[in-house]
Parts: sequence; C-alpha cells; structure tokens
Amino acid sequence: MAPPEDSVANPPPEAEEANTKPISTILIVIAMHTEAAPLVSKFELVEDPNKSMFPKGVPWVRYRGKYKDLDINLVWPGKDPALGVDSVGTVSASLVTYASIQAFNPDIVINAGTAGGFKAKGASVGDVYLASAVAFHDRRIPIPVFDLYGIGAKQTFSCPNILKELNLKVGNLSTGDSLDMSPHDETAILANDATLKDMEGAAVAYVADLLSVPAIFVKAVTDIVDGEKPTAEEFLQNLVLVTAALDQAVTQVVDFISGKCISDL
Amino acid sequence: MAPPEDSVANPPPEAEEANTKPISTILIVIAMHTEAAPLVSKFELVEDPDKSMFPKGVPWVRYRGKYKDLDINLVWPGKDPALGVDSVGTVSASLVTYASIQAFNPDIVINAGTAGGFKAKGASVGDVYLASAVAFHDRRIPIPVFDLYGIGAKQTFSCPNILKELNLKVGNLSTGDSLDMSPHDETAILANDATLKDMEGAAVAYVADLLSVPAIFVKAVTDIVDGEKPTAEEFLQNLVLVTAALDQAVTQVVDFISGKCISDL
Repeated sequence: MAPPEDSVANPPPEAEEANTKPISTILIVIAMHTEAAPLVSKFELVEDPNKSMFPKGVPWVRYRGKYKDLDINLVWPGKDPALGVDSVGTVSASLVTYASIQAFNPDIVINAGTAGGFKAKGASVGDVYLASAVAFHDRRIPIPVFDLYGIGAKQTFSCPNILKELNLKVGNLSTGDSLDMSPHDETAILANDATLKDMEGAAVAYVADLLSVPAIFVKAVTDIVDGEKPTAEEFLQNLVLVTAALDQAVTQVVDFISGKCISDL
Repeated sequence: MAPPEDSVANPPPEAEEANTKPISTILIVIAMHTEAAPLVSKFELVEDPDKSMFPKGVPWVRYRGKYKDLDINLVWPGKDPALGVDSVGTVSASLVTYASIQAFNPDIVINAGTAGGFKAKGASVGDVYLASAVAFHDRRIPIPVFDLYGIGAKQTFSCPNILKELNLKVGNLSTGDSLDMSPHDETAILANDATLKDMEGAAVAYVADLLSVPAIFVKAVTDIVDGEKPTAEEFLQNLVLVTAALDQAVTQVVDFISGKCISDL
C-alpha cells in the first residue's frame, strides 16, 4: 500500500468527549439493494418515506430503526433514475455518505458490501473481512504528490476488540469504478497490497475522513479476482448466498458496538 | 457515444416558470486553483470566509460576487487536507457540486476547466470547447444496463445561442479519474466519440442532472492526448497560458448569460 500519510479515519483530539460516551447513532452505507435487504430485515428497519433530509431528485434510500442501544440508519444510493440499476461506484457512494453524515450525525460509519478477493492473498468466496486500509486503484495521476492523492490511501478506524471478538479476516481493500480489472488496475491493486477489490470503499473513507467520523469496512467475498471464472458471472452467481454471510457478520459487528464507546472498539 | 437514454441536463417541465425569469444565480465549478484564479480576478469575486454552508472539515473554497445582473458563486474543491494538492477528480467534483447546488440554488451550473484534446478530432492546444455531451471512460461494468450506468452518458444543456454568438468549438467530453490514458481508457474514449478528456465533467453532469439544474461545460485544451508529448509534462507546461484562454471564454459566456432567461441560451 502506498504510504497513507497522516490521513486516518480516527477521530481527532476534540472528539475525546465522544470517546467516553456510548455510541448512539450508526450509519451503514451499502451500495446495492441485494446487499442491504437482509440487514434491513434483520434489524427490522423501516424505509423512511419522509426523505426531507435528502433533496428532491436524488434516488437515495434511507432505512431507520432502533436496535438494542443504537439508532441505526442504513442508506443505499438507490436505483439510477434513468436506467433503473443500483447506483454503484465511487461518485454515488461519496454523495450518499456525505449527505447522510450531514443528516444523521453518526458516531461511526460502517460500509458493508461485497467484494472480489485475491486467492493469492488467502481470500475465498464467502469470507468476510474487516478492511485494514483502503485505497483507489483507478486514479492514476503521474505528478508528484498528486499521485498519492489519486491513490487516496487511508487507514481504517482501528478496532482491535471487534477483531478479537469476531471471526473476521483482515486485509487491505482497493477501490475502483470498474467491475473488471485492466492490467493498469492490476498493477495499482498489487501496489496497494490489496486482498479485496470493491467499487465504493475508498470513496466512503474519503468522505468520512473529511468529516472526521470513524469508518470501518465489512466486505464479503463474492468472487475470486485471480481465479478462473469471469468476474461478472461469478459475482452474480454468488451474490445472494454471500450477502447472507455479510448479513451475519454485520449483525455481529453491530451487536458488539451496542452499548460501547468508540474507544472500546 | 453510447446512447444517453432519456437523461439530459435540461430542466424538467415544472421549471417552465424558471425559463421565463432572467437567470439570477450561477454556479461555476472549477477543479484547480490555477484554473480558478483568473476568473476570481476578472469577476472581482471575494473568498467567502464564512463557510457555514459547508460542513467543518471540507477543504472546499467558495468565491462570490455580483457581476452585471448575476450573483456568481465560484467553487473549487480546495487542497487535499493531508497532501496539499488540488482535490481533482470525480469524487471531489461531485461532492462540491452537490453541496453548492444545495447551498446556492443556482439557475445554471458552469463547469469550467482544462482538458486534453484529440488532434484526430480536430483539437489544438488553446482551443476552448463547449461540450455537447459527457460520459465516463473508466467505469467499466460488463453487465447489461449496468454498463450504460457506468458510462453515464448525458447530453449537456442545449444552448444554441451561446454557440452562435461566441467562437467556441463543440465536441464530446469524456471523464476519468486518471491524468494518463490506459488502453482500456482509450477504447472507452473512442466509444464515447470524445474530442476532450478531463477528470470532472461527467461527475458534475451527474449531480446537476439528479438535482435538475441545467449544466454547461467550458473546457480549454492544455495537451494533445494523441500527440507526441507525455500528458503530464505538456499539461503543466501549458496550464497557465491556457487558463488565460479559458478565462476569456468563460467571461464571454457569463456576459452572454447576464440578463437572459434559461430559454434564451
């Protein structure tokens, strides 16, 4: 991974007060409806018909509910108004994350979703990971310092207790707007030392970091990037099954978070 | 250009009322400080020290001023807090466009900036174009309909009178987060039938379209993509000189807009 500089998703000193108060509001950011549906069910969330916190015209969908000690807000960017498909990718993810942090003032952001995994780094279909760091692999700007900005590497919020308690694997997450992987992408993903490949993580991390909100990334592997099967096919085949594994892992994370402070994680 | 479907940056029927009122507020979205500075000067805009319309932590900069009949808001995404370079690219551009449309409720958005040009499509360094359509070239999702969503092709707001009055060239704009161009990018740019290549346009168009605000794209050519010189080098060499040409063209556009209604453009 290119050196992440000082940019971390950890809360700044002035948030010390927040570190001693139990987490009360969480924001879960999800890219696709298929990934979101099991969690909406599990937490008994309700779609918010009054979407006045979002401007008219945006397709973003918000679910909310009370679960144990937590106010849960789950957002996904909705279907593209023109084309009707899930609004995947970095632009939609950054917008819905930005608007949702503004609207709900969460104590922590959880970006949950599916990802490709690299078997060379030990990933298998159905594994669920907590990302250790995130970076982009499709933003190449070959000018000094701009190159680092393009890569946008960031450490994720450090939560050693979550790792200790739950059976989650750990690895770097690399983000790009393509489902496939060009040779240029592959080079950058290798430089990022990534185990996982998705289409939103580093964008969510960028926004959370700008707004100083801790962010963690829970990713379930739907396809093996360095395997035999073509990505789109393997992804679609495994999507529903793997979201069940994702659902279970996110539930465990949320259960662990409930009643704790940021510093307990 | 892949078929742009029904998604255009034209105002919807309910904006008919707006079409008969003179344009009063414009939003100019610019990616880099070097591109913005001449326009800030020309329009005698002042940096807004009170940035309460933007949340704490974002590096976005807003300039404002009154010019002829117009309230001008000029925004750029600012320097990256960690790395100190201009926050170029689609994520920053979409965020600052979103937040600025929300804050200033402009009648029209002008995305002004520099771009690479293709000599095979007739572009030369120093040319200034009004983009006819925009699309992404680095968001490859090989699943039916998702592929179109990734490309995100959109017609720009049609302004035949601006074109007639000013000496601007016309061509398609292709957007991606890399300054360089991989073979995969090149294939997609050719499919987009693009004359120009930038790093923000299609993202600005996406947000403006979601929020139903007309958007136009004024791009000055700093480097010839299908030429001999390496992009980064040629871009940096020509940046200052070409922003003078950009400044002149944007001034002419703004002068033309002043006192007119959306439908007069």
